[in-house]
Parts: sequence; structure tokens; C-alpha cells
Amino acid sequence: MFSTYLSARIPKRSIAIMMLAILLAPDGFAQEPQALASATEIGVSAREIFRDRCIACHGDSVQEGNLRLDRSEGLMAGGDSGNAIAVGRSHDSLLIERVTARDESRMPPKGTPLSDEQIATLSRFIDLGAPWGEESLKDPRLDHWAWKGLRSVAVPANGDVSAALAGDSPIDRFLAVEMSKHNIQPLPRASREALVRRLSFDLLGIPPTPEEVDDFVADGAPDAWERLVDRMLAAPQYGERWARHWLDIAHYADTHGFERDQRRDHAWRYRDWVIDALNADLPYNSFLEQQIAGDVLAEENPQANSTTDATIAASFLAVGPWDYVGQVETPSPVIKRLARADDLDDMVAQVMTSTCGITIHCARCHHHKLDPIQQEEYFALTAIFSGVKRGDRLVSTEESQRIDSKRNELRGRKLAIDQELHRTRVGISLADIVGGGNGFGTGTLGAGIDASTGAIRNPNDKKGFLDGVVANRLNTTTYPWIDSVFVPDGGTMARLAISQAGAVAQGIPSTDSKVWDAIRNGPVNSQFSTSLDGIECAPPGRSMLSLHANAGITFRLQKEPLEELQKSNDGSTDGGGIVFTAMVGYFGETASKGADVYVLIDDQLVFRYVGLGRNDGLQGIRHELPGGASTLTLIATDGGNGIGHDQICFIDASLAPSHRVESDQEALRASELRKVSDELQAELASLPEARRVYGVVPETPSEIRLLHRGNTEDARDVVLPGTVACVGPRMESMAALSSQSTDAQRRIALANWICSPENPLPARVLVNRLWHHHFGTGLVATPSDFGLGGALPSHPELLDWLANELHRGGWSVKRMHRMILVSDAYQRSSVRPESSTAVHSAVVLDAGNRFVWRQNPRRLDAESLRDTMLSVSGSIVRLMHGPGYRDFDYQEEYAPVYQHRVLETPDVFRRSVYRFVVRTTPHPFLTSLDCPNPATMTPVRNTTTTAIQSLATLNNAFVLQQSDRFAMRLQQEVGDRAEAQAERAIRLAFGRKPTQTEIANAARLIQSAGLFQLCRILFNTNEFVYVD
Amino acid sequence: MESTLHSARRDWLARMGTGLGAIACAAMLQREGFARVTNSSNADGLHHPSRAKHVIEIFCPGGLSHVDTWDYKPELERLHGTPFDSELGKQTFAGVAGKHAKSFWSFRQRGESGLWISDLFPKLSQCADDMALINSMQSKSALHGPAMFMMNSGFIQPGFPSMGSWVTYALGSESDNLPEFVVLPDPRGLPPGGIINWGAGFLPAVHQGTVMEIGGGAEVIRDLFPAREVDRVAEVDGLSLLQQWNRQHASARPGDSLLEARIASFELAGKLQLSAPEAVDLSRESQPIHAMYGLDDPDIGPFGRQCLLARRLVERGVRFVQIYCGAENTSKKAIRPNWDSHEDIVRDHGYWGRVLDTGASALIEDLKQRGLLESTLVICTSEFGRQPFMQGEQKGRDHNPGAFTAWMAGGGVRGGVRYGSSDDIGFKAAENPTYCYDLHATALHLLGIDHERLTFYHNGIQRRLTDVHGRVIPELLASS
Repeated sequence: MFSTYLSARIPKRSIAIMMLAILLAPDGFAQEPQALASATEIGVSAREIFRDRCIACHGDSVQEGNLRLDRSEGLMAGGDSGNAIAVGRSHDSLLIERVTARDESRMPPKGTPLSDEQIATLSRFIDLGAPWGEESLKDPRLDHWAWKGLRSVAVPANGDVSAALAGDSPIDRFLAVEMSKHNIQPLPRASREALVRRLSFDLLGIPPTPEEVDDFVADGAPDAWERLVDRMLAAPQYGERWARHWLDIAHYADTHGFERDQRRDHAWRYRDWVIDALNADLPYNSFLEQQIAGDVLAEENPQANSTTDATIAASFLAVGPWDYVGQVETPSPVIKRLARADDLDDMVAQVMTSTCGITIHCARCHHHKLDPIQQEEYFALTAIFSGVKRGDRLVSTEESQRIDSKRNELRGRKLAIDQELHRTRVGISLADIVGGGNGFGTGTLGAGIDASTGAIRNPNDKKGFLDGVVANRLNTTTYPWIDSVFVPDGGTMARLAISQAGAVAQGIPSTDSKVWDAIRNGPVNSQFSTSLDGIECAPPGRSMLSLHANAGITFRLQKEPLEELQKSNDGSTDGGGIVFTAMVGYFGETASKGADVYVLIDDQLVFRYVGLGRNDGLQGIRHELPGGASTLTLIATDGGNGIGHDQICFIDASLAPSHRVESDQEALRASELRKVSDELQAELASLPEARRVYGVVPETPSEIRLLHRGNTEDARDVVLPGTVACVGPRMESMAALSSQSTDAQRRIALANWICSPENPLPARVLVNRLWHHHFGTGLVATPSDFGLGGALPSHPELLDWLANELHRGGWSVKRMHRMILVSDAYQRSSVRPESSTAVHSAVVLDAGNRFVWRQNPRRLDAESLRDTMLSVSGSIVRLMHGPGYRDFDYQEEYAPVYQHRVLETPDVFRRSVYRFVVRTTPHPFLTSLDCPNPATMTPVRNTTTTAIQSLATLNNAFVLQQSDRFAMRLQQEVGDRAEAQAERAIRLAFGRKPTQTEIANAARLIQSAGLFQLCRILFNTNEFVYVD
Repeated sequence: MESTLHSARRDWLARMGTGLGAIACAAMLQREGFARVTNSSNADGLHHPSRAKHVIEIFCPGGLSHVDTWDYKPELERLHGTPFDSELGKQTFAGVAGKHAKSFWSFRQRGESGLWISDLFPKLSQCADDMALINSMQSKSALHGPAMFMMNSGFIQPGFPSMGSWVTYALGSESDNLPEFVVLPDPRGLPPGGIINWGAGFLPAVHQGTVMEIGGGAEVIRDLFPAREVDRVAEVDGLSLLQQWNRQHASARPGDSLLEARIASFELAGKLQLSAPEAVDLSRESQPIHAMYGLDDPDIGPFGRQCLLARRLVERGVRFVQIYCGAENTSKKAIRPNWDSHEDIVRDHGYWGRVLDTGASALIEDLKQRGLLESTLVICTSEFGRQPFMQGEQKGRDHNPGAFTAWMAGGGVRGGVRYGSSDDIGFKAAENPTYCYDLHATALHLLGIDHERLTFYHNGIQRRLTDVHGRVIPELLASS
């Protein structure tokens, strides 16, 4: 007699299991003792016992202990434990011993033991010589409805249902069949005001304007509803709304997750792809195909129009979480294997649950407990993706090459001009040298040198903290101007070697030997800012040599170029020397005492600033090179408080002639040259960056082995790429996969298998997801689980009819939306009248609304509620696409810190689908409204009501901000009269005309508490938050 | 009689499924409070009679070194200074093993039970006879993030419900006006993995941990009061119009319990506004209590405040309180912000040892004096241990998922015992190796819950806190 409520905690699934148990329950239970039955009859009864209780583990697909009991041969052959039966002698048979055992060796191990009658049947069966008969047995789980092909179902004729129930739409006729069977009367159509609001939230995720409501209410044309549906389906906000549903399933976010939750600055292109694909009504089979194999399909067919888009689509495989520490940082191979196994598991689970509703991840450690899916099949699917790694990649190499070649051409032209200009006016730029140049502008902006190794870093190769740093080692490069780079740590050493020739620095302090990113020609990775003292210091206006502590760089002072620098255009030398000039500043966030800076010429310290911080501004340096000077060294150290934001930049650091007199002709020429150079620069600046996306980085597929109990340190046999056998077509391309198959072959084969018209699942799963979002619950209540553990369809025929319609309509998703939305079912009222006897029976018989006799009222989800506040307050910024808005402060750390803020910048007033989503730091306001964590795939959102949530909607700074803006809008639109404000406020918030009482009450609140308070209260009402 | 009514109500709500009915269910059950059921002497509503009603879990993130604290290893003293197997050492997180190193603090036998505990914890040592040490804990990950998730949720991946969420999902709240699951993070910041550590995963959001802050300028609970001043009269007028409108709206929609639930949630929110500031007001505690928790000490004080607050919350009916003794790693030099002592264990464990020692011992003593320890299960754990050798040439120890120690006290736990052991040097668990699953199963057992029967369907699987593992450890249960 255990608790009622704990058992109530196990509702749906355990019911499903119980039903399964009932289905599987041996028929023998009900039968009379077998003593007098014939051998044939005994054979039939025994086979039923084997079928129902044994072959899930000893059958066609699985043979535990190498024993199979689905056919006579298997029974006779026995298994690893020896003979299963001794023919004619049941008392000597292992099988009988095991089914009667009272310890853990008892078979079957799960569920109730066999009954005495069943055991008697088996004994007699053996004693009679095991008269099996001809047929072998089939796993009953293979008969599960979802594995079966789509049935072609006829729409019930009007005559099949009572006239009161029959609608025009086929959907209504299917629903009417069930309702008339149970004598349930559906509710009438909802009010026009309710309908337009419902449709707007469903399709667009934002409320209709009062004008849209008025238009529809006044539109008496018979096709008014259809036109409204079509107009909304064509609106760009449709893609924004429905992309959110798909992104829930893809568990999309803009950071990696796990401990070092780094940013994915290019992930957003995938989000935009989903929005655009939905708006364009990309056929659903292509929608899936491109997301599974778009990048490789694009490579095989580069001429296709949507080449680059398909590459972005494949980011679907990559947008889930990824553990940087386990994948990259740790040197331990054990940890890396586990991280990679989790990585592949994430991809396989995402693809199979989202497209097919197959819970493949349940077969990672053992055969699937409920579905006829073997552990080998899990690993076969893993092998499909074993060539997929995640990372930033170019959207199109062709595009990148095109931009590069244009850039090189412009640079070449500019270079010739700049060289002349620089030689005569500016001198040799040290930043340019760091970028791999000759000092006259040939270097790459953004490129740099790893201080801890001397490795060259290109602009996109950004690093955080460097690993394996050896302090004070002089690392060389191939650049002639650079003697060495190093990570300084004075420690206890009085003298620190700073050049290969043996120059030393004295008094360099102890540091923590940490270093960030690289020494760069331009800002370092995640630099806090590029301006200081109000002066923008970023290239191309100025040159910027950035040195994040702890780092040092020693330049080799090249004799010939420096001598050349001192010559006039006519080749004469004016006798002046060379001067090193620069401005140095702290570009991180720390206000003061951030870092220390040192400049040395050979052994000679010529500049030192201890405790440089942002508030100290730019420091000028000017020092004449003594004759015979051979090195120049720049050092930045951490100031003894960690490297934090210690971003030290030398601005316009150069070696130039110390005094030269310029002739008029030279000056004129220079100004002409500068003009051309500036034009070229402008053209260079306007060149687009080659597009990048966080997505699939393919590689040669690695070998996949079955991992015993899922343990990465217990690898068993090699498993070839493949898919599950219980459903879908047998395809040549899939069967032909081998260990040698390329990544492209593997993924294309899977995409073809999934999108094959003979695979019934993707169409069923999709139409069910549409139903789920239009009615609040699916025809199958578990939208990502169509297996034996999932829910049974409430209307299996309707489901198959809809799936067939999807195929028939060329996989058009919008067509399916339309079909559902024009049905009476969708348009029904959600409000049940209290005392209607007709409805009374429905309430009693079907409180859960399984028969769809009414529409389900729903609470706005987190994003829709935020978007609605933005819309109603008039703040919403309709800008589509592009990098996500960031409503947080970001701090670069070992584990980056994200702190959410309520900001006033228009950027953050964009729709919530454009939010930069941080995995480890969920958005507090949205989370309180059940916005799911993108760590897991979310086919169905929770809807909870909590005190914490009410506090958030009442008091959160965002709500107050929007209340202010709402109040401002009202004042602008209707002026200062309280009644007018009240009327307009309620119309905007509820999408309907207010009653006189409501206006009076609201106006009274405006007078006693202010307009702001009314706006805030409206945002909190149930009518605002719920949709009828 | 009353519990029958409750059961009927719950049945009815449960039949409404996970959709809209669940909303009402969550809110209504929360409002009713489960306490009346769980307090009843016949233990109706539980799988079996409970020993504990509340849980306070102290989590020491970063990796607390068992060989320097709870797990005495004489063999390590013998091997001190000799090199560790370099091949095995490559498998560690940092990939470099140095020399064996004995404990940096001397071990002694403590109390009547004679448990070995090191001098790092002089005050906690006096509680030895209340404590049960599990010396054979292991983790499946050597990384902070995943190992934190595992210890909290049973899974190394993010997104699974934490123990506090499961417990409150099963038992609900005893308090009508405070959250059922409260988290008190270290004032220095969040632990590795962030707030996912107390997330509800796929369980309803009401079961996620609510962060409470003490002192400083921060709000006690996020959004407890308007982000800026709102006139008191305006607030009263506004809220009464809100509820008036909501009631009107609901009366036009009979039978939609979710609308009622939301009306109730605003009433609950109002209660929270009254009770939360009162709960965190430590000034009402006596001077001896302040001294016992070390509140005036700048280093120990913050954790002492967390422990004292935990006691106050449990007194007020909060079901599950989790305290973090340490924050996330930063790149800053000086003392580490948590137990992750890679480069200088004497410095970092020395610092954090004092902190934990004072706060945790005061908590146990205080609970005991008030007669609350019997019904409050105290758990102290880390995500993994540390290696019995130095990390390369450093003066610290690397992560060790192979062995670590957690301990429990109160709430039906047998005091003065230790369960399981690590090998001779503390490198791997040896006798009765165990994972978080057994600890979780045992804790649930003490709360009257069978861990195999506390389940929730998600994406194809009937999920449990203990996954497919877990065994109640009978050696840890006090005889009743």
C-alpha cells in the first residue's frame, strides 16, 4: 500500500508499459491445463510462451548467450551454457531448470515468473519431443504501429458522421468519427477577436495589432479566415516563430557549454538558415537532407543554387553542447575518448529523435529496453557521423578565394604607393612586421606570433590562455626582423636573456607565466576595446601592435633597410639617425595598476611604466637609436595580479628618420599618393569578410567499435556504418557502406534513408509536431518518441492521412499548416460554457480533450511573452538575421563569465529568437518562464506556474523597462486623458475592445498609481499571458 | 482522511497529464504543501517511513583532497618522495605525475569511534562520532564541469535534474512561503558549470534551486521586489486590480485550474516577499551563535553565514539546501577561489580547510543543540579527489576521479563509521567502490523514497536520479 501520489508520478509511461505487458501477457494464462492436449496443440502453446517471454533476448535480432528460441533449430542447438533441452526429458533440461529457478538465474529475468501452467506446458512440450512445427517466431515488437508503412486512408464520407459534426475539412471528418462514436459534441467556433489573436501567436509568436483585429472582425467575406491564414503564413515573422520550435529540438546555443563555456561567434548563421528555410517553405525532405549532409552535398554539386546555404544547414549536427576541456585541453586519452563518445552520442540522438522519433540513445549501453533496436545499431549510426567534428569553418571556400584574390590585388596596388609614402614619411611599422610584413604595409592585419612558441597565427586563429608555456624561452620565427619572442617571468632572476645574441634585461618582475592569444598586428582575441583617451587606435587609421601580458618581443634592427630609410628620394643621406617612436596604453578594462611595460634597446632600459591601467591613457615614447644598436625589445608583464585584461598596445610604433626636411614637391607628391592610398583603403575596407559558420568540420571517419556497456575503455568488435532495421526501407547505398566509406557517403546514405518516401516516420513525426504546436498537444503526445515507450496516436488514421498529404504536397510544410488551420477543429472555442448539457458529456468523458472537441488554451512561452511585451510597448525592432543580441556582460576568463543585464540599446529589442544563447548561464527571466536549457533537446516545453515566475513578471527590470516604454507609447498616441490611455492600453494588451467597467477601473489606477503601474499590471494579467 | 483527499486530488490532477493539468498540479500541490502528508505518523505518501525530512548539502567544488583530510594512508608516508608510475600519470587530467606525497596535515584518531581525520579539520574532528565517511567514492569524469554535474545529477552531461530537484519533486515543500529548494552559492561566484548544477533539467521548473543571497547589495532572491522603487499605495492598488481582473477572467473560463493556479502564485509571491528577508536576517541570532559560525572573520565569515542561513531555512521548512564552499576557477594568482589546488595545496587547502572546518562543524553542533540533526541529513562532498602524488614539479595535486571521500551526518545516518576504502595510497577506490549513485540512493532512502521508483519520463526513457545504478548502503543507516 504505497502512496498514491508517488505512483501517480509514473503516469503515462508506466501505463504504456503496463499495456505492453498486457499485450505481451501469455495467452496460456487463460487456458486449461495442457495434460490432454495434442502434440500439435502443445507446440502452439509452447511457441506462444517463447514468443511472448523469450525471444526479445533470444530471437532474431538479439541472441543473449548465443541462444535463440524463435525456431526449432535454435532450441535444439542450445547456447553458451550448453543444451537448452534434453529431448524427452524435461527434468534434465536446463530450460526448465532456469524457468523454475528461485535465484537470479531465473528466466525470464524481468517481469513475473512463468506460471505453473506455462511451466507444465514447456515440460510436456519437451517430454513429447519438442514438436515445434514449421514456422519460426517473430518479435511482436516489430509489429509496432510506427514502424509500419503509411496506410493510404480514405477520408470518411460525410454520411459516416452525424450532420452536426461533419465539417468541410477532411481533418474534421476524421475527428468527427471518433467524437460521434463517443457521443461527444464539439464546441462552436471561437469569437473573431479570439481567433485572430490565437492565429497570430501560433504562426507569428506576436500579438495582432488592434487594427489587424478590427480588419478581421469587420471582414464579412466567406474566405476572410483563409486570407488571414495565407497572409500570416507569408509574413517573415512566421519563420522567426517556427524556427524557435526547431531550435528547441536542435538544442541550439551560441556557446559551447560545459566548464569553459566559450563563445561561438558564428553559430547564428544556422539559426538564420532555419528561419529562411521555413519562410521559403523549403520542402521538408530537403530541409532534413541539407541538415544532415548539406555540406557534402554542396561540395559534390557546387553549381547548385543553394550551395552555400546547404553548408550552413549541416551545422544542425554541430549546434549542441561540446566539451572544450575534454575534447582539447586535457592531455589524457581516456578523457578524450569519453568526450568524443558523448559528442557522437549527441549528434546521433539529435538526428534520430528529431527526424524519426527514434530514441536511439537508449541503446548506447545495451539493447533498447523497449524498442527492437540493438546496441550494434546504435554504434552503426554512430559510425555514420564518425567523420564529423565541430568547429568554425568557411561557408564557401570559393567565396573566400574570390575575396582573398580581390584583396590581394588591392593590397598590391596600395602597397606600391604606401611603400613610397612610408619610406619618405612614416618609416618602418613594427606592427606590420609582427603581421609578417616588411614594415611598409605588406603584413596581414590581425596576424601575429604566439609568444610561447614563435608559431605564426593567422587572423582567424584566435587563442585564449596558452597551454604548456615555458617561461623565458627565446622562441624564434622565420621573420628576418624578429629576433625572438618569449613569455617573461623575472622570478628570482636578476637578469633575463632577451635576445639570441645575449642581451639581458634587469629588474623584470615575477609573473604567473600565463599568456593570452598572441602578439598581433591589431587587437588581440577578445580585446576589451581599441580606443583610449577618446582616440580610436584601431587599424587602418593607426597601426596597433598588441601584446597581452605576459609577453615580450625582440626586434632585430636590420642595418640595410634602416640606412635606406635615412636616404632622401635623391639618394643622399642627410646624416640624421633613426628614432623609435610609439604611444603605449592599457586597452583592457582594468582602470589602474593593470600591467607593467618595458622597452629596451639592447641591454638598455629606455622606457618603463609600472602599474599601467586604462585611466593612465596613452604614454608617448621617443628614443633615438644609438649607433650600432642591434635589438629593440618590448615587454608587457602582469603587474603581479594575474593577466586578467592586460591588453597592452603600442600605437604607431615605428622606426623613422629622426629629422628630415621635406621639399615642396615631395609634399605635393605625398598628398597625391595619400589620396589614392585612402581610396584603395576604403575599397579594401568595404570588401566583405568571407562568411564563416560554426558547423561541421569533416575528416576521415574514425573506426567505431561497440563499447561494452557503453564504456569507452571496453571497446569490442568493429561496427560498420548503418541504421536501424525495424523501420524504413532497405537501401542499396546504406548496405554498401563499409569501413572505407567516406564521410560524405555515410551521411548522404543516412539522409537518403531518412528522406525516402518509404520511411514512414519523418512525415508522421513532422505532421505531429505541427499538430502539437497548433493544439498544444500532439496526436502522438510524445513528439520525439514514436517507439513502444511513447504514446499511442489518438487518431492513427488522421495521422497517416496527414503524413500522406505531406508527401502528396511535395513536402510543403506551409500547405500542411494551412490544412490544419482552416479546419473547424483549430477554430473551436477553448472556453467551455459551464451549464451546457451537450458539453457536459465531453467534459466528463474526455476532460483531457483527446478527441479535440475544443481548442486548448495555452500560456505564452517565454520568448513569445518577451516578444509580446516588446510589441505592445512599441519597442520591438523588426531587424531580421545577423549575429545575436547580447544582453549580458562578457568577461574573458578560464571559464568565461556571462552576466545578464537589462539594456536600453535598440539591438536588444529584437525578437528573442535572435538572442545570443549562453549555455552555462541561462537567461534568468526567460528561464523562470520555462525557456528550456539548450543542454537537452526539447520537443515539448514544460509550462509551470510558480511564485518565482510571478515575481519575475512583476518585478524584473525588463518588465519595468517595457512598462515605462508602453506608458510612453500611450502618452504619445492618445495624450494625457486617463480614459483614453486606459482604453488604448487594454486594446493593445488584450487584442479586444474593453468594457466600460474595465476602462473605469484602469483609469482609476492610472490616477492613483500612474500609467506605468497600469502597464505593468496589464503585463501580468492572465488574459495577457494566456491565449484562448 | 485529509491525506486521502490529497491523494484523490493528485490522482485527478495526474490524470490530466503533463500538459495544462501539470501546471495546476505543480502550483496547487505546492500551495497545499506536502508536509502534512509526510509528517503523518503512518508515513502515508512515502515508499517507506522516512528518517530525514530535510537535506543540507555542502559542496566543495574544485576537488577536495581526500588523502590530506578524510582518508588516512600510512603507505603514502613510506613512499613519500618516490616517483609515481609515469605511464599511469599520463592518464591524469594534467598528464604529468611527480613524486608521491604524504598528507600535508597529520592524521589522528578522533572521538569514541576513532575515525582518522587530519589536523586540517580540528573542529569537525570533534563531530567524528556523528559522521559517516564514504572513502570509496569515484567519479566518471576528471573534469570539473562534468564531474560536478555527475555528483549533482548522476550524469556527466548537463541538463539532468539535480538531487535537490528530484527530492522536492518527490516530497514537495513543508514551507508555504519559502522556496522548497534553496541554493547558497559562494559569494565569490558560481561553481564550475554554473547554475545548471541546481537546474531542474526536464522536471517542472518549480523544482529548480532558488538562489538566495545574504548581505551585500544583492537581492535576497532575484526579482523579489521591483527592480526600482514603486510607491507602496501604487503597489497595493495595482495588485488588487490585477487579482480582480484575473478572477474575472478565470470565472469566464470555468474549469481551467491553471488560471486559478496563477492567481494563487501571486499570493505565494507576496508571502515570499515577507518571509525571505526575515529568513536571511542573521541579526536575530545570538552573539554566541555568531561566534560559533565565525561570522566576524573576513575569510571564514561568508561560509559561516551560508551555514547559519541553511539552518534557519531548514527550521522554516525548506526541504533541500545546497551550500557551495568555493566558486569557479579564475586565472588570478594568489589563493584559488575553490579547492582546485594544482600548484600549492598547503596554501589553498590550508585556506579552504579553515573555512569548511568552522562553518560545517558549527552547523552540525547547532542542529544538534536544537534537536534538528535527527531529521536533517547533512551531506558534504566534492566532485572528485586529488592525486596521492604531486602534479609534476608543482607543490599541488592533480584531479583524481579514481577515489575521493564524501561524508554524511544526521538524518538517520550511523555516526562514527567509515564505508569502503581506497587502495594503499588513495589512487583508486579499492574496497566497495562506489559512485554518487549509492550516495544518492541512500539519501533518498533516508527521506523515505525508493530511488528505483522515483521516475520521470523524458525523450524515450523513464529517468531516475540514479540512472540504472544505485544501491542503498545499509552500513550507513543508524538502527532505528
